[in-house]
Amino acid sequence: MDDSSERKFQKELNGGLVGLVLLAVLAESNEDLYGYEIAKRLAHANDGTSIFKEGTIYPVLRAMSAGNLLTSRIVPSYSGPPRRYYRITEQGRNVLAEWKLIWASTRNFVDRFTETEPLRTGNSS
Amino acid sequence: MNRSAPRSIDQYLRQLREELAGSDAALIQDALYDAEEYLRAEVAAHPDKSESDVLELIASTYGAPDEVASAYRDTEVKVKAAMATPRKVAKSKTGAFFGVFLDPRAYTSLFFMLLCMATGIIYFVFAIVGLSLSAGLAVLIIGVPFFLMFMAVGRVVSLAEGRLIEAMTGVRMPRRPVYQGTALGFWASIGAMLRDPRTWTTIAYFVLMLPIGITYFVTAVVGLCVSLSFIAVPIVTFLAHIGWLGMGGVEIFSHAHPKWLFDSGLAIPMFGVAGVLLLTSLMHLARGIGRLHALFAKSMLVARTASGAPEAAESGAALAAH
Repeated sequence: MDDSSERKFQKELNGGLVGLVLLAVLAESNEDLYGYEIAKRLAHANDGTSIFKEGTIYPVLRAMSAGNLLTSRIVPSYSGPPRRYYRITEQGRNVLAEWKLIWASTRNFVDRFTETEPLRTGNSS
Repeated sequence: MNRSAPRSIDQYLRQLREELAGSDAALIQDALYDAEEYLRAEVAAHPDKSESDVLELIASTYGAPDEVASAYRDTEVKVKAAMATPRKVAKSKTGAFFGVFLDPRAYTSLFFMLLCMATGIIYFVFAIVGLSLSAGLAVLIIGVPFFLMFMAVGRVVSLAEGRLIEAMTGVRMPRRPVYQGTALGFWASIGAMLRDPRTWTTIAYFVLMLPIGITYFVTAVVGLCVSLSFIAVPIVTFLAHIGWLGMGGVEIFSHAHPKWLFDSGLAIPMFGVAGVLLLTSLMHLARGIGRLHALFAKSMLVARTASGAPEAAESGAALAAH
């Protein structure tokens, strides 16, 4: 019971964050990346377990590509179907910059209430 | 979902397909493609482990089939809502009738009707040349590879046609080709391709696109010519009347019948009104044809026999997608 409510909360949190993280990963990378590679980088950064279910990043990649935030190209692969490599566009970088600002202010706001040290709200400038 | 965890890539894909049953056929094709890319890469990345050992951990990394299925459905709904331009809903019937001029889909569908003539000819020639050369070369050793090449190109063309239709009509079409898999041997995969009804419906679609394209093109051109020239009648008459346009002494309606109508001076503005009505009807027709054609293309080009999924649910999904 506890576990499923935790998962539900995590899933709701992830809604917009997956897009932000994917854009950030692609903006950092100096080469094009494909879905599996991105999934593994995310998992690697978090000691082997990804916060997102890796299956959820593919539809988001596709959606951002449809929204012109990413471009993609197809490269044949030996291990399976041809891979789609993604690269961030200029528009994607602009959106990422905006999203970073939104994320920073959201994080600060949430931290104010959830930090272990009880903080007074309202006296900050 | 209380079912046994998948122990092979095929099992996983089958469960994912079952979870997505009832969704848009194009979405199912994309989701299966992505899952296959990931799973095969994951298996290839762990050569020391067996396929079933790798699949055991898949639920905690890639996600169980039901989780992945819901991610695709949710993302699709959100993206559709975000990308759709808000449409003004006309209150009156007149507003709804003329509102078609504000709908970009009507213009793109009309353009699609004109374009179908060109694509129809290309598809037709491609299909006929491919089929007859395959049949003719079948007695030689190069017949089989030629047929395989023909079908491979056919898949790419079918995907491109799907992208074109989605751009023009807004109906969801696949964004990934169908991946056939590498498990089968050379002859077995040829056999599977020949047994796959989609192979034949795709070729039938290419052939049918010639008569369909001609019909669309003629409808669009005739509709545009008639309605635009009707609209031009009052404008030209007016310009001639104020002397901006020389008619060379020709009276347009000097011999037209019924005489009372043309003498009354009502005929000329009526041509304008009729032209506007015709043009608006043409826009409605184009939008309708665009939607119908997209459904037709989806039924011919996108695999509907998801193994295990009942046929009825699939066709229901195609209608519901609309």
